[in-house]
Amino acid sequence: MASDPDRLRDLGSRLDQLQARQAPKRPPPSQTGIAGRFATELVAALLVGGGLGWGIDWLCGRIGFHTAPVFMIVCVMLGAAAGILNVVRAAREINAQIDAGRTDKE
Amino acid sequence: MNPMEQFIVKPLIAAPLFQIGGHPIYFTNQALLMIIVTLVSAVFLTFAVKPGALVPSRIQSMAELSYEFVGNMIHSATGEDGLKFFPFVFTLFIFVLCSNFFGMVPGSFTVTSQIAVTLALACTVIFTVIVVGFAKHGIGFLKLFVPHAPLPLLFLLVPIEVISFLTRPISLSVRLFANMLAGHTLLAVFAGFVVSLGFAGGILTAVAIAPMLLIVAIMLLELLVAFLQAYVFAILTCIYLNEALHLHDHH
Repeated sequence: MASDPDRLRDLGSRLDQLQARQAPKRPPPSQTGIAGRFATELVAALLVGGGLGWGIDWLCGRIGFHTAPVFMIVCVMLGAAAGILNVVRAAREINAQIDAGRTDKE
Repeated sequence: MNPMEQFIVKPLIAAPLFQIGGHPIYFTNQALLMIIVTLVSAVFLTFAVKPGALVPSRIQSMAELSYEFVGNMIHSATGEDGLKFFPFVFTLFIFVLCSNFFGMVPGSFTVTSQIAVTLALACTVIFTVIVVGFAKHGIGFLKLFVPHAPLPLLFLLVPIEVISFLTRPISLSVRLFANMLAGHTLLAVFAGFVVSLGFAGGILTAVAIAPMLLIVAIMLLELLVAFLQAYVFAILTCIYLNEALHLHDHH
């Protein structure tokens, strides 16, 4: 039984090789998954922008400047831009995933 | 049969446990399920790795597999120095995974179908990201919000980047919440079809087998979604941590 550590080490290295070959990859999302993701990103950014602007307006109102609804309008626009930015980023990310999956198969 | 009835949070003990600022705090079915999920996952993982056998038993290898799964995920998303966040990401992953799976038990309650829970989890993630970012880079963490652009444009781009960053907890939580809510509502709606068709009489009673079979298929799909959403939650946590650690810009 003197060779047991050697055999274990051998087994360990073979397992490592196998695991390196099948490293976990993010599966490319389904069509509905992509659609849901884009919708959430867009709407969430609009809500955050609107909420932020509303908050700034409220604070300004408390101090005594009647800015409402200027900041809210500006921030909703910025939120829309941020939403589109998020969607573009998400699309780029998904494209990268799909590309990674494709090069794997070839 | 109301398909949304399963999401109602109701107190299990009529009397409030205690009060915070005049608001009564009840022990709800949600609190019970969260405690069960936490206890079961903690006890399971503790006892699974207790034997520490070289050749693992089935239960031990389940625990080891999940450990390695999360470990590899963190390593591939954040590199070597992200591994110190292993306990954080692993806890999140196991909690979300077990909540999703416990929600699949008929008659139980899905903790992750409540936006309050998922938003709290997502805010914890973003708060950690911000703290880690400032601790690692100091004030330089704010460079995350400054893209490469000429100075006049920065007045427009920096607010957009800030809003884009603030969107993360919302999109992170809404994704998990919406997936669980949609899946469980769908199951309840089809279950309602089975009942109403079954009592309709005549040929319709025989047709009730169709939505029944569909429920089995959706159930399988939901098990996949339960795992996938826990995975997505964990890997997005890793990606956000990676940005805080290495300040990669997206361009």
